[in-house]
Amino acid sequence: MAMEDEEGVMSTGERLIYMANQIARNLASEGGERSAEMVADHIRSFWDPSMRQRIVALAADRPNALSPIAAAAVRRIAAA
Amino acid sequence: MKRVFISCDMASVALGADAVARAFVGAGCEVVRTGSRGLFSIEPLVEIETEAGRIGYGPVAPCEVEAVLDGTHRNYIGAVDEHRFFAAQKRFTFARCGIVDPLSLADYAAHRGWIGLDTARAAEPQAVVDAIRASGLRGRGGAGFPTGIKWQTVLDAPCRTKYIVCNADEGDSGTFADRMLMEGDPFCLIEGMAIAAHAVGASRGFIYIRSEYPFGIDAMRAAIELSADRVAPFELEVRVGAGAYVCGEETALLDSIEGRRGQVRAKPPLPALAGLFGKPTVINNVLSLAAVPFILSEGAQAYADVGFGRSRGTMPVQLAGNVKHGGLFEVGFGITLGELVNDIGGGTASGRPVRAVQVGGPLGAYFPPSMFDLPFDYEAFTAAGGLIGHAGITIFDDSVDMAQMARFAMEFCAAESCGKCTPCRIGSTRGVEIVDRIIAARESEPARPTANNGVLGKALYSRAPDRIDVSPSAQTTLLRDLCDTMKYGSLCALGGFTPYPVLSALDHFPEDFGAPAPALEAAE
Amino acid sequence: MGFTRETDHGTLPALATGANVTLTIDGEHVTLPEGTSIMRAASLTGTAIPKLCASDNLESFGSCRLCLVEVEGRNGYPASCTTPIAEGMVVRTQTERLKELRRGVMELYISDHPLDCLTCAANGDCELQNQAGAVGLRDVRYGYDGATNMGQPKDQSNPYFDFDPSKCIVCSRCVRACDEVQGTFALTIEGLGFGSKVAASQDDAFLASECVSCGACVQACPTASLIEKKVVETGTPDRSVITTCAYCGVGCTFRAEMRGEELVRMVPWKDGKANHGHSCVKGRFAWGYAQHKERILHPMIRTSITEPWREVSWDEAIVHTASEFRRIQEKYGRLAVGGITSSRCTNEETFLVQKLVRQGFGNNNVDTCARVCHSPTGYGLKTTFGTSAGTQDFDSVMQSDVILVIGANPTDAHPVFGSRMKQRLRQGAKLIVIDPRRTDLVRSPHVEAEHHLPLRPGTNVAMLTAMAHVIVTEELYDEAFIRERCDWDEFQDWADFVSEAARSPEAIEPLTGVRAEDVRGAARLYATGGNGAIYYGLGVTEHSQGSSTVMAIANLAMATGNIGREGVGVNPLRGQNNVQGACDMGSFPHEFSGYRHVSDDATRAMFEAAWGVKLDHEPGLRIPNMLDAATDGTFKALFIQGEDILQSDPNTHHVAAGLAAMECVVVQDLFLNETANYAHVFLPGSTFLEKDGTFTNAERRIQRVRKVMAPLNGQADWEIVQLVANAMGLGWSYSHPSEIMDEIAALTPTFAGVHYDRLDAEGSLQWPANDAAPGGTPTMHIDGFARGKGKFIVTDYIPTDEKTGPRFPLLLTTGRILSHYNVGAQTRRTANTAWHPEDRLEIHPADAENRGIKDGDWVGLKSRAGETTLRAQITERVAPGVVYTTFHHPDTQANVITTDYSDWATNCPEYKVTAVQVGLSNGPSDWQEDYADHARQSRRIAPLEAAE
Repeated sequence: MAMEDEEGVMSTGERLIYMANQIARNLASEGGERSAEMVADHIRSFWDPSMRQRIVALAADRPNALSPIAAAAVRRIAAA
Repeated sequence: MKRVFISCDMASVALGADAVARAFVGAGCEVVRTGSRGLFSIEPLVEIETEAGRIGYGPVAPCEVEAVLDGTHRNYIGAVDEHRFFAAQKRFTFARCGIVDPLSLADYAAHRGWIGLDTARAAEPQAVVDAIRASGLRGRGGAGFPTGIKWQTVLDAPCRTKYIVCNADEGDSGTFADRMLMEGDPFCLIEGMAIAAHAVGASRGFIYIRSEYPFGIDAMRAAIELSADRVAPFELEVRVGAGAYVCGEETALLDSIEGRRGQVRAKPPLPALAGLFGKPTVINNVLSLAAVPFILSEGAQAYADVGFGRSRGTMPVQLAGNVKHGGLFEVGFGITLGELVNDIGGGTASGRPVRAVQVGGPLGAYFPPSMFDLPFDYEAFTAAGGLIGHAGITIFDDSVDMAQMARFAMEFCAAESCGKCTPCRIGSTRGVEIVDRIIAARESEPARPTANNGVLGKALYSRAPDRIDVSPSAQTTLLRDLCDTMKYGSLCALGGFTPYPVLSALDHFPEDFGAPAPALEAAE
Repeated sequence: MGFTRETDHGTLPALATGANVTLTIDGEHVTLPEGTSIMRAASLTGTAIPKLCASDNLESFGSCRLCLVEVEGRNGYPASCTTPIAEGMVVRTQTERLKELRRGVMELYISDHPLDCLTCAANGDCELQNQAGAVGLRDVRYGYDGATNMGQPKDQSNPYFDFDPSKCIVCSRCVRACDEVQGTFALTIEGLGFGSKVAASQDDAFLASECVSCGACVQACPTASLIEKKVVETGTPDRSVITTCAYCGVGCTFRAEMRGEELVRMVPWKDGKANHGHSCVKGRFAWGYAQHKERILHPMIRTSITEPWREVSWDEAIVHTASEFRRIQEKYGRLAVGGITSSRCTNEETFLVQKLVRQGFGNNNVDTCARVCHSPTGYGLKTTFGTSAGTQDFDSVMQSDVILVIGANPTDAHPVFGSRMKQRLRQGAKLIVIDPRRTDLVRSPHVEAEHHLPLRPGTNVAMLTAMAHVIVTEELYDEAFIRERCDWDEFQDWADFVSEAARSPEAIEPLTGVRAEDVRGAARLYATGGNGAIYYGLGVTEHSQGSSTVMAIANLAMATGNIGREGVGVNPLRGQNNVQGACDMGSFPHEFSGYRHVSDDATRAMFEAAWGVKLDHEPGLRIPNMLDAATDGTFKALFIQGEDILQSDPNTHHVAAGLAAMECVVVQDLFLNETANYAHVFLPGSTFLEKDGTFTNAERRIQRVRKVMAPLNGQADWEIVQLVANAMGLGWSYSHPSEIMDEIAALTPTFAGVHYDRLDAEGSLQWPANDAAPGGTPTMHIDGFARGKGKFIVTDYIPTDEKTGPRFPLLLTTGRILSHYNVGAQTRRTANTAWHPEDRLEIHPADAENRGIKDGDWVGLKSRAGETTLRAQITERVAPGVVYTTFHHPDTQANVITTDYSDWATNCPEYKVTAVQVGLSNGPSDWQEDYADHARQSRRIAPLEAAE
């Protein structure tokens, strides 16, 4: 995903989706469940609660925006 | 076809040897170019090969070919070997010089070449070092340090890479033995270095030659190429100096080979332990290394049998300056200074009385004839306030001004100082200034400026230069103090030895410095 | 502390061989290590032998001939500096004969020296003068009418020091210091004999020469030949204070030499453990900003950023600040405010700011500028080794055999350490440089990299993984080490991953642009060349893969067993003076001091007990998240201490928009920086010269910062934060920073042993310093990793989304230059601008040619994020396709160009890779003009009205 905004600035929502997907890509080599758990852990450790709530909401609104691993991770966060 | 031998030595060429050689070729002779025999008053010397040996004529001009060939030339010498100047010598190191074609391997081998190297290589390194120690050979560059001890240090140094460096930066005025050997018998030096390499475990060598010796550089390079297989795996290379006198000092020379500005290094570390590129290094003068093949081929004892006291073997003495028979004279230690100057050199060329001789190059002491019974020996010369150095002897007649000679010594040091240590860097310039004051004062005792009288006079110009005492006696005292500082304070021999000519001039010729002449020797 | 010269023992300490020798010096029996010089031996036993050319930071030289001594059984008078002691040696250093010789030498020196001692700036602080006294020189009988070297013109081209050849005694100390200590080889002795003289480069003026103005020559000079302009102007110092430099992460110790309340000069301190008496142009000379006329000394407030500033009293400013934060929290909620700590401030100040946020604001919205530099180091090294810090001390490099430098330019950015590294390289250590640019280390006098891998920016992970591929597939790894110290299964997973053909040097050659054979050679050298040490900088961290690269580095070190002893390790070169400390102090939104997560109940309980409040267990916002939240309208107030995020953070437009959206931005700083153009409260800060505290350098070394002069603004930064806290009702009562450190020690296990009395006694401590490591920890992970087993992490190469294309065909990378520091707020306010008056765009000749650009042309630099203009510098230091600039000047605003792509794990911005286009330009961009206009308006100040 590249930057879409003409100004070169992502909206906060886009940025959160981008970040979740980027984390997922970097932790993908572990594979499947393990990767999803690591991404969820990472987000829990480093994202403040409002960002976590927002990504959960975004995942619901835009089901195709997140990669499968990122989506699985966000589901875990939502479930907690 | 007649075989004719003519020197290609730089000095002979300067006297016209090339034109003479061309003339003999033109006359259908086979001309062999050799090194010089070393007596320049008979150069260009032409030697004709005969049944009875080589018959010499010299000097010879190019237009005189016929007279030589028909035996009528006025400068007939007869059998060259029997000439008084040569017959009186003990030619250990220069045995081949002037006789062989310098670049003929066959000639070299035919004249006992390579025997020393083969002998050395058949022996253990320690045995070779022992032979050098037994010979009593001491560094011929000037310091007279026992060569065997130096080699032993390098042999014992635990390092795989070691070097042999030959100091051929023969910078002293009036010396030319290194040059003559490199031009006249380059394989001898190569063999000596190869023996040294075997003795200490070195695989590479460098010959550092001053740029003023183009013939020597060419001869050494050619000889290195020709003999490469003979001395392999030892490898040799010529490095050419850029003209700084101080690069004749061994550590500055190493800096120069390493591609840096040649400056004297503080010792320790000794070059024998950390020399070229920080590796253990034998650094010897040309004459030291060239003495080595003889020691190995003829035996250490044969070398040690000649000499005097702790100075063993022979020394190639170089006679120059105002002298009748200038040239190279290799002789065992112990001959007196007077014999060298008067008997061998034949006194001054000008015919006037000898007043002073300087032994050991521009940093050697001046001796008056009253000291001519001094034997040529390291210890005897040291005791007499002088040094043998590289055995150059420069002769002056009674027209010499010894104050000017003292000035020259200081000026030489000032010109050649590398600038590293203070006594040499500043002291030499101050020395020139002091001698100038003495010369000025001795000629006209300066009147003190009148302004210096009275209270105001003392105050006025009180910071002016003339507040110092410029009388010859005060300046002479200062000059002696300066010499003391330089002699004991300098980093290397350049500053350390400059006082020798100055102090000896002051001691033996005080009248030239505005002081009374010394009382004539009681004996006379 | 009075003013005393440091003792100079004359020669370097002997190389340790373990053997001692006993000798007699002036009748005293002395036992010292073999190899010690007679001069040093005498000095250590209290006998000063006269000397001029000797100094104990230089190889002995033996030129001045003042130090002659007598040795029984030896001829002559050997120089004591060059003569080593020997068993049984009997030395006399003070005899009548020696006095005579020394006087003789000194008389010669003085015969060529101007007799202007009374009017000389070095009067009273001159070794020549002292030694003339020591040898008892009473007369110069040579007179003064002879030849001299006097009357030569002075070289005053350097902004900080003068060179007066007339006063030079040609001792070569300056030349040797430049060669041996600094390693620049800019000076030489020209000429011979009496005409020998010191010359810079090819007899250039100092400023035009290769001289880097490190000051080593000035410090080495025994006369006034090389002397600080400030000493000439002010006079010699009369007292001194030992303190720590506030520039880069090397953490040099200096003596601040004072004349009354005036700072005369900063002289690097020999006992400084990080610098051992060396310095660079910044620490040594560029401290004039502390007294710069643009410093703001009164607090100021305003209601809107379009209004002029209004100077107010401290009381008003503090009350206003506290009430604004309380008001905003009441209106928008507890989480709507936050703070930013500074890597330039002390540990104590940083600790207080995060405490203010956590205790006072009641949230964890605190971050620090390490976010934008070394946050991936923290993450990567914590994950692999268990500790968020470098593993070695600086001295370790002297034991290294192979030095791998990646994404760092130490000779510019960490010059004092760079010099030390070069010393080691000159001793024979091998060097590998992985960097898109041909930095000075790649080839400089007597230093040449064995391998330079000029990779395409953004391909670090691919490169390091390819090196790992070589090490694993050629079985060059250290199996014994891995089995003992790491998890063997994890290693095998990693080994399988890196061994795949797709990760071979050949496979990645098209990506990195580096020949596979070079990569293989470098990998083999690192793995087999002896002690291998890795040094890295922001060229590693400031990427989308910053954390992965740090972990890839850690993998290499573990796989080759290069960890846990001297000479090896993983060494982040920290940018700012206290980056390490700011991170240690709990500046990150997810962790307390000592890197403990806020969700850790035990840690939180400890802090809650100490601070008497309930603390948030959820991580807070990072800087970019704060700015996002601000533009979204949920984040409204920010307390910023000692940072200039508008200039230093990426994508300036976005930062400006975020700041502009807040209701209260508080900036605490020395100057009205760029961020202050968007601030509502300005609290004037104090310089490192004006306060007490500690900095922690890149080697985890905690060092004291000592107050040299009273703060011009009246308050040290820690006092200001305390005032704000107390205005918010927190009831703090620190009377000295040592009390803050005591609290840190009590709450942070790795700092448990750190107290000011110990720092004063021992000079410094490297954390962890606690009961388990009472003397501190120079080398980490010696017996085991902090986390137990070292963890191999699979580092997949995920390319950045920042791609070149037809619109933006070039890659921009940014960095710094020797003479400037960070946003330049300090160095731009010094004479350092003489070397670098503006940022320039380095561009390869081929790229310039294609665009019709000539050297010095104004060019427009444009990315997706923005556009700016600057002048071009054509150079082959950058590869074709790559352009480079610095970000030291706000007129350029290089960060208008950089994007908000960032490291996947830490959000550290991707400063090092931006796709750009470059073209000829007529002048400033619209943004530059608008911004300049806004800045001008914003910086108007209405002075404090006199009290009625």
